[in-house]
Amino acid sequence: MIPAVRLLPSRAASKPWRLFSHPQDWHCVLFHFICLAAYACAFWLYLHPKVASITGPWSRIAFVLASAMVLGWISGIDVGVNFHNHSHRPIFTSPFVNRWFGRFWTFSGGWPSFFWEYCHVTIHHARLLADDDWTLPKHSPDGTFENFQRYLFTHWPWRISIHLWKDLTAREPLRRRSLRELAIFLALWSIPFWIDPVMAVFLWALPHWIANAFVMNSGMYVQHAGCVPKTPAKPVSHSTVFVSNFFNLTMFNIGFHSEHHDYPRVHWSELPELHQRLKQELIDGRTHVVPYGNYHAAFLLAGDETRQAGFAEQDSRYKPGH
Amino acid sequence: MERLARVLHSQTALIFGRSFFPLFAIVIILGAALWGPWVSLGVTVVAIAAALRLI
Repeated sequence: MIPAVRLLPSRAASKPWRLFSHPQDWHCVLFHFICLAAYACAFWLYLHPKVASITGPWSRIAFVLASAMVLGWISGIDVGVNFHNHSHRPIFTSPFVNRWFGRFWTFSGGWPSFFWEYCHVTIHHARLLADDDWTLPKHSPDGTFENFQRYLFTHWPWRISIHLWKDLTAREPLRRRSLRELAIFLALWSIPFWIDPVMAVFLWALPHWIANAFVMNSGMYVQHAGCVPKTPAKPVSHSTVFVSNFFNLTMFNIGFHSEHHDYPRVHWSELPELHQRLKQELIDGRTHVVPYGNYHAAFLLAGDETRQAGFAEQDSRYKPGH
Repeated sequence: MERLARVLHSQTALIFGRSFFPLFAIVIILGAALWGPWVSLGVTVVAIAAALRLI
């Protein structure tokens, strides 16, 4: 870690009366509440079809499809990026509030917060690109990932459930905690089913599948496709960096992914500054840098060989000697 | 005063920028009440296609 970063006192420690650990963290809460409001709006309109000009089965299908796609999109960001930041640097100063807000955070993305945190921090960050990093696509030693579509459709919830079952039932304390967290999650996640089971399938479970399969899984794929584990010879080739300004503005700076993996305790709002400080190191270390975000990267990697070759191209501003 | 206005302006831009996607989702969902579900579906498909091409 950069000495200057390690020596920084935490804001919570210097001002213990604060609610948030960092002044920018209220943006995370706002984002989550807008996501919950979007679900509430969709549920209400589904239950009051005349207001939304739903006059028959086809207009209902149109409403459900539009809503499910946008709800899935924002839930993928809310858990995969927004809660993700919280799993590295809890946003509240109180551990109790962190734990309970986390539970009310990930249930709207189809996850118990403890399970997501376990997958991301204990498995993905600690074992990045190693053979036992089962959060990533299956890969060969040279970094070649399995087929994009196969990963999207088989990873969540199928493969991940099997891995979680094996890991979380292996030891008694972990098993007890996992069961408790699963019970809390199921209690919260089942709420829409009590209101209207059909609505819950299409405006709750379906968006969660879209969030996980298409937003979170594709994000995981593109962030590390073609990358190799960190070694002294290749210290910054473990992640791709996405430098699109719009993407990073709307996605809590998750594009600065190499920086995030090397310094996971650096606050998301400070990643652009860290990126500028490490820029030369990234260029010298030949980090893969692209001028767009995850979405276009997913579009490229989902295509044929010609389209995939487009992803391998380096941003011209990050070529040695530029 | 000008500095304060600039700070407020940049803060507002940050808030809307960071919440862009969930706000867009609310517009799509509530918009169905104004312009009907088919327009919402059309705009969603165009938005996803644009995201895949541009960002």
